[in-house]
Amino acid sequence: MKTFHYTITDEVGIHARPAGALVKEAKKYESAIRVVKGGKKADAKKLMVLMGLGVKCGEEVTVEAEGPDEDAAIKELETFFNENL
Amino acid sequence: MKDKIFGVLQRVGRSFMLPIAILPVAGLLLGIGGSFSNETMLSTYGLLDVMGPGTVFNMIFQIMSEAGDIVFANLPIIFAMGVAIGMAKKEKDVAALSAVVAFFIMHASIGALININGGPENMLQGATASVCGITSLQMGVFGGILVGLGVAALHNKFYKIELPQVLSFFGGTRFVPIISALVYTAVGILMFFVWPVIQQGIYGVGEIVLNSGYAGTWVYGLMERLLIPFGLHHVFYLPFWQTGVGGTMEVAGQVIEGAQNIFFAQLSDPSVEHFAVSATRFMSGKFPLMIFGLPGAALAMYKTAKPEKKKAVSGLLLSAALTSMLTGITEPLEFTFLFVAPLLYGIHCVFAGLAYMLMHVCNVGVGMTFSGGVIDLFLFGILQGNAKTDWIWVVIVGVFYFVVYYFLFRFLIKKMDLKTPGRDDGEEVKLYRRSDVEAKKNGATASSDASSEDVLSETICHGLGGKKNISDVDCCATRLRCTVYKADLVNDSMLKSTGASGVVHKGNGVQIIYGPRVTVIKSNLEDYLETAPNEEYHSGEAAQIETDEPTKTTQGKVTKTVVISSPVTGRAADLSEAPDEAFAGRMMGDGAVVTPEDCVVKAPEDGEVCFVFDTKHAVGFLTDTGLSLLIHMGIDTVSLHGQGFEVYVEDGQKVKKGEPMLKLDLDYLRANAPSLVSPVLCTELEDNQKIRLLKEGRVEAGEALFAVDFYE
Repeated sequence: MKTFHYTITDEVGIHARPAGALVKEAKKYESAIRVVKGGKKADAKKLMVLMGLGVKCGEEVTVEAEGPDEDAAIKELETFFNENL
Repeated sequence: MKDKIFGVLQRVGRSFMLPIAILPVAGLLLGIGGSFSNETMLSTYGLLDVMGPGTVFNMIFQIMSEAGDIVFANLPIIFAMGVAIGMAKKEKDVAALSAVVAFFIMHASIGALININGGPENMLQGATASVCGITSLQMGVFGGILVGLGVAALHNKFYKIELPQVLSFFGGTRFVPIISALVYTAVGILMFFVWPVIQQGIYGVGEIVLNSGYAGTWVYGLMERLLIPFGLHHVFYLPFWQTGVGGTMEVAGQVIEGAQNIFFAQLSDPSVEHFAVSATRFMSGKFPLMIFGLPGAALAMYKTAKPEKKKAVSGLLLSAALTSMLTGITEPLEFTFLFVAPLLYGIHCVFAGLAYMLMHVCNVGVGMTFSGGVIDLFLFGILQGNAKTDWIWVVIVGVFYFVVYYFLFRFLIKKMDLKTPGRDDGEEVKLYRRSDVEAKKNGATASSDASSEDVLSETICHGLGGKKNISDVDCCATRLRCTVYKADLVNDSMLKSTGASGVVHKGNGVQIIYGPRVTVIKSNLEDYLETAPNEEYHSGEAAQIETDEPTKTTQGKVTKTVVISSPVTGRAADLSEAPDEAFAGRMMGDGAVVTPEDCVVKAPEDGEVCFVFDTKHAVGFLTDTGLSLLIHMGIDTVSLHGQGFEVYVEDGQKVKKGEPMLKLDLDYLRANAPSLVSPVLCTELEDNQKIRLLKEGRVEAGEALFAVDFYE
């Protein structure tokens, strides 16, 4: 399993549109992708769960990838977070 | 590309039908009024004492004549409005108003430039005319069509425009007349410089046609008939009838353009001794063809029908022949043989050209309002007297045409065993039964029982590939003209089973020929489409049951349907209408949009509130039926940080359908959010789950909004 930490800089947090974009990105990989905030984990391929996490600006999340293409997934997702969130 | 051009031309052609439909009435008024107030005619028949000047009859006929004449005098603006109405996709009333505004403004700015440049005296002879009281360039109906097409294009582009808050009063449909006014000021200026050049060109083309003599007339007649199957004949003959292409002539001191205009100007000018054949050569040929020739063909088809079917086809052929004879609407008859025996139609076209030419040779000067039936022949030929029209030749040539058509058609049908009506092998009966079976089957599966009442409309709808596949529906005198999204979903035999005499395809344009009753069929179909389920219909499935032929099925059977209701009262639309790419592109899921008109957002179904955003603008919802919904109020409302929203529920709360969840401050949101359009969508759809929009326009909270169909 690969992980990275990221602090959200988007001022409104992971709301509907960025969540949609993240799901689209996560679905590209076979690996299971999760976003972890506090003790709560959310499947990054499921929009509702991801939005339900209620991630706000300034909060730190952990992104996990586990599966055959986890290396590529983590690398690309880190770029995605940096650019979009 | 070619198909696209055809599609546009087809729409242009059918948008001409509304203004053209006025012509018979105007022609009747002018024809009757003009004839009976004409002193020459009255003295010929010794009616001067009864109907001469000063009598009550004379007054009535003069009024009729003027009433008819005014329509012909103002055809350009009527066309501007008619075409704008025909071409506008929605809010057609606004397009009509805008067309009038644009028409006046264009001619006013041309008029101003004419004055600045020294008045009409400095222009070409006959280049200017009084258009609705404005001294402007003589543009004829071309001017009107130019306005109509341009305004419709502007209208379709801008009628939903959203302007910044301070200007919002001028947004939407109100913007259309404004932009039309500005654009057509510029068009007017442009036309002042461009139109005289075009005018020269038109006169040039007209000269060639006019000077090519009898051969030119033959080609005109042949072309006009050849274009009928494509529905493009209006685009072809109208310039001859209404513009300088069909010649110019001075009548009663005024320069008149266009064959039909010349004829009607001469009709109201008592000093004319014989109507100009240079004008009527584009019209008179229809009379022998439609009153005599085609009925001869009908008789031949009746005689060659199988004995046991004669009775059945006699009704069809007799009514079609009578329609052709009386009104000059020939399509019902022509389409009975066009599709089954194209050769006959080819011969028919050659004879049509010949009819025009013979009328030209015989110096026949009978005009018409709309087409060449007995009514027009009576008004504009017989009533005007043989001295002015030589109408007697119509009858002489006509009798010859009747005989030739009868024997030629009879010979060819028998010789080549052509399958004209009553000669096929019982296909019709089979088709009808099949439609009944299908109608029954579809009636059972249709979501609403009310919609199954109109079986004919339903079959047409399905034959066109379902409501979702139909872009728009319109009609001309005899055919239903539709545009579809996917041409391959159209099922010809199903369409023919609805009583159509033929189906023409070109690209995404579909024409179904019914005859004059088409207007009723169109209205019924439109009513049906209002309530019909918005789905694609794959006729392949239905065909399988009866024929066992392997036809393509693109989706399996619906095993389950879950209906999602609207969370708020407002206006519903397809998700693609959301003014936000992420939503409209279905990136977050599929569903619909509702623009709220009421402030309370309610639970759409029984279920659970998964989460409410801290910014209160969106709710995640899980229905008891297991579907995840996102109800997102407004676009970009996340940036309001909760202002304008009140929340009544909390994460994880169970709610019943109709329970209030949010309250909106509509005034605040209208002023501060980019848009109030609110997507309601299913976020986690599987590949076998499809959304079907159930409601467009006004929707109440709790009313069905869309359905999720589960396929096998």
